Amino acid sequence: MLFSLRELVQWLGFATFELFLHLLALLVFSMMVALKVDLSSLHLSWWLVFVPLFAADGLSTYFTAIVSIRLYQENEKRLAVLRLLWVLTVLSLKLVCEVLLCQKLDDQDQARDLWYGLIVSPLFILLQLLMIRACRVN
Amino acid sequence: MKMSLAQRVLLSWIFALIFLIMLVLKLDSKIHWNWFLIFLPVWAFDTILILMLIVNMAGRCKADFDPRDGEQSLKRRIWYLIALLLKLAFCLTLCSLLESIASVLVSVVCIPLWVLMGGALVELGHSVFHSRRD
Repeated sequence: MLFSLRELVQWLGFATFELFLHLLALLVFSMMVALKVDLSSLHLSWWLVFVPLFAADGLSTYFTAIVSIRLYQENEKRLAVLRLLWVLTVLSLKLVCEVLLCQKLDDQDQARDLWYGLIVSPLFILLQLLMIRACRVN
Repeated sequence: MKMSLAQRVLLSWIFALIFLIMLVLKLDSKIHWNWFLIFLPVWAFDTILILMLIVNMAGRCKADFDPRDGEQSLKRRIWYLIALLLKLAFCLTLCSLLESIASVLVSVVCIPLWVLMGGALVELGHSVFHSRRD
């Protein structure tokens, strides 16, 4: 729409397959949220609802590790390290945000000090990083 | 006139940042605005995208347009327009639910989102497996 797939891959630094994986995880996650809210008799834990997102992060890390090792073996050492660092930064920021949100939703009373500004702060950092990367890719 | 990648990223970045800030302020009960007002950056961004798409599609009506170039592109643009309308429908029903204007199930609210994501998955999956075959 606004970006072509090629631009997205260049900008975000993820392979098309990884984007597919994260989108699929988001779809399953949204279905589980709907299930949790609509069928409260099921007593689904929020940690269980977030499992698709955690699984996508894990699979994406595994995929990136494999790609980086192969790049390293093919003597593309700089590219391998840069790719690994970038993807791990993005995934860890995403994971921190997910874990904090899950903790907040799972135990509203105990996590009262955990305000939403704090939960979303990794996303604010991610937005700045994405803007810097867009200028470099451009 | 085509915008550069940095310009397009900046456009999306500004709207995403404003929306996130407003969302956080609302969730932390620092502001007590209407949910439709909180989603204002989303409405504005979607309106810009729809206008850009319509202007692009209107370009086909120009006298020097070669129809052989645009068959695939037109289908794609129609899909983009449907996707934008689905996203708008999702946001509107979500705001109505949050403002207690309509009492519907969350699964009903999510239907446009699921259709949109399904379409995006098909498109992404096609490019993943198509390029693998090549």
